[in-house]
Amino acid sequence: MDTSTVKIILQILHYLFFGYAFAAITSYIILSIISGKETIEYLKKNSFVNYKDILSSTMSPSITIIAPAYNESLNVVENVRSLLSNHYVNYNVIIINDGSSDNSLEKLIEAYDLEKIDFIINEKIKTQPLRTGVFKSKNPAFEKLMVVDKKNGGKADALNMGLNISKSKYVACIDVDCLLLEDALQKMIKPFLEVTNAKVIAAGGVIRIANSCIIRGGKLIDVNLPKKLLVQSQILEYLRAFLLGRMAWSRLNGLLVISGAFGIFDKETAIAVGGYDTQTVGEDMEIVVRMRRYMEEKNEKYRVSYIPDPLCWTEAPDNYKIFVSQRNRWTRGTIETLKKHRKIGFNRNYGSFGMLSYPYWFIFERLAPIIEAVGIVYFVILIILKEVRWEYALSFLLLAYIFSVLFSIIALYSEELTYHQYKKKGTGYKLVLLTALEPFVLHPFILYAAIKGNYDYYFNKKKKWGVMQRKGLTSV
Amino acid sequence: MATYQYLIDYFNESPLLIKLAWGVSSALSVAIVILTLYLKLIRATLRKRDAESAKFRKDYEATLIEYLYSGSENGTINDLQLTIIEKLKASVPIKSKRKIIISILYNLMNEVSGEMSDSIQTLYYKTGLYDYALARLKNKNWYIIAKGIGELTRFKIEEAHDLVEPFIMHPRHEVRKETQLYMVNMFRFKGLTFLDDLKAPLSEWAQVQLLETLQKFDDQQICDIKPWLKSKNETVVLFALKLAKIYNQFEVKDTLIELLSHPIKEVRVSVIEALTSLYGIEAKEMLKANFNELSLEEQISFFGLLEKLVVPSDEPFIEKHLFHKNFEIQLLALKILKSINLDKFMGLSKSPKSKGSKRIIKFVNNI
Repeated sequence: MDTSTVKIILQILHYLFFGYAFAAITSYIILSIISGKETIEYLKKNSFVNYKDILSSTMSPSITIIAPAYNESLNVVENVRSLLSNHYVNYNVIIINDGSSDNSLEKLIEAYDLEKIDFIINEKIKTQPLRTGVFKSKNPAFEKLMVVDKKNGGKADALNMGLNISKSKYVACIDVDCLLLEDALQKMIKPFLEVTNAKVIAAGGVIRIANSCIIRGGKLIDVNLPKKLLVQSQILEYLRAFLLGRMAWSRLNGLLVISGAFGIFDKETAIAVGGYDTQTVGEDMEIVVRMRRYMEEKNEKYRVSYIPDPLCWTEAPDNYKIFVSQRNRWTRGTIETLKKHRKIGFNRNYGSFGMLSYPYWFIFERLAPIIEAVGIVYFVILIILKEVRWEYALSFLLLAYIFSVLFSIIALYSEELTYHQYKKKGTGYKLVLLTALEPFVLHPFILYAAIKGNYDYYFNKKKKWGVMQRKGLTSV
Repeated sequence: MATYQYLIDYFNESPLLIKLAWGVSSALSVAIVILTLYLKLIRATLRKRDAESAKFRKDYEATLIEYLYSGSENGTINDLQLTIIEKLKASVPIKSKRKIIISILYNLMNEVSGEMSDSIQTLYYKTGLYDYALARLKNKNWYIIAKGIGELTRFKIEEAHDLVEPFIMHPRHEVRKETQLYMVNMFRFKGLTFLDDLKAPLSEWAQVQLLETLQKFDDQQICDIKPWLKSKNETVVLFALKLAKIYNQFEVKDTLIELLSHPIKEVRVSVIEALTSLYGIEAKEMLKANFNELSLEEQISFFGLLEKLVVPSDEPFIEKHLFHKNFEIQLLALKILKSINLDKFMGLSKSPKSKGSKRIIKFVNNI
């Protein structure tokens, strides 16, 4: 290759990277505008809603909370108490003890006065069998609680067991260690009951980070900003993702993922598609994509809704090792889901789902870390070859950085003008400072985890969930 | 100075793309600074407002309770109450304070009844809150109108009926729903007349709220629901079916039986459920005869009806479905057989059958 050919190739690569970055930034701007509109509309719609009738009505539809638990003995009793204190009449809680090797079951039996009952399971979805059986409380105060002890099959398998057992019309699938606010169910069920021109198949909620928050008797008492920079950065990241990203996709009816930490599903549809996929580590995204695909193929009008109220609080990883492991799994889950449902991508038969949501997810979520990593390698090569035109490089790096800071500040705005959770004096400064630091303290690790996730997906097939060590939320 | 000049020269001599990048970066940086300062202002304002609200709420809660408990038995307003009204009147024009007063009054309204409730209503009129609510009805924003109607509903303001009623046809379902709730809260079952010619769907959310409202009243004398059962609007039919179940409308059984051939499956399933709770024995033979033409959901509902209304003569029909491929039907059929012919049921455990059926028989045997 002569010099001019190399130069042409370099030129093409420059334009490709530039074009990708420009498209990404444009998409973020568009999404944040849509999100702003949707947030305003949501707040208007909910400014006069009286939830009292719904929560106290026995005519409200039944909801089953399904919470898989695996070796959660540290907090399981307290967490179940939080689940049982929801302000909604027509609901029950099924805890699936997924073959725990610790004493979770014994603790639950003791705390809730459980006894084994005769129970027959309609195995609409194949799961691992029961281990010791099904338990209900002898104490009427805990009549809403059922504990199912089964052989270990993973989170998806446990959720499927819950789907088989539930007799409710809707199921709320949550992580047992999440703190669910008392009004969570009544707010989450609203879109299912309100929308009349389409079937709402699922609704997702915002996940907030509970590290350093004060919790008493299963209730959130005080919201604090954690001390660790890693956790603080994740708060900012979640605000961006939930308040700007998912809110916009909700308006476009293009949500592809509902966090596994908390989501409500139409049980009939979830069972019709075969429940959760036990072969993927991204079962929360996969089931939403499969349900949407099912509705598209049936040619039925549907919606996946999203509630921006801070209803579910969870513990975020507070060290880089666990954080990387979590993001690695998220990456593999995304790859698996997009690959499994690749038929949808750029397929007009799936409408905006195939022509907008899937391509966006593929280009700006699936490919983003790869393109970024290739870009970094390419930049290093250019430095070695002394081909970098520094005036261009620096000005565009600075522009990208300033844009990311501004985007985070807009997310903070959205938070302040809507839910204003971090009220304490001095927190505002920290959050603003964080917008400047986050690209250095969080983003490189997200990129690393995503690249590792790609590597593990293709070359380390044995890798599954990984371990998420919980320290437990701050209870007083 | 030299550095500044160097930067200016550098910028002027740079290619257009770099100029553009620096220009945009500078503009965004300015935006960041402005937004940061504004964010600080917003946070400070919100904190201040929260503190003021808490103080104001505490102060006015005490004042309002004093107003309520200082009332005379004959219902006339005394001097102390007049002073309190004047004090509140001065605060009502301020939006944030008005909001707090309304919320306190509403909470009190939920806790009291009779004379005290009337006293709160009087206060609502005298302080001018009523006029603000009426003004909301004239607003061009739909959510303000909905808020206004909601407020009039909470304070049981019947006088606003003529102004609220036209919103029953409002294009936004939220406004329609608030109007429907107003009508039912004010006029109980008579308020349901909007169902007569309701074309738009009645959401399940609205249905639950209407039913809850109706159940709050002591007078449970329901009006004729037949016209609604015959409505062309399927959501009205579904709502009427719920009314039939809750208020034991035995007199509509014939209409329910006619509805068994409704074109919409969800309605047919709800009809069977309503007939179950109304002991609709008349429908049993008809459903038995058409059993194979029914959808699976209807078949399951019908077995629910049979479980409640079974008689020994149904045994041959039950026997036919003891090993139905559907789990729910099989389970119900076995339970019913056990209840009407225990010997025959016990005999089943001895005859050979699939593993799944054995499991269900064993379970039914144990319950």
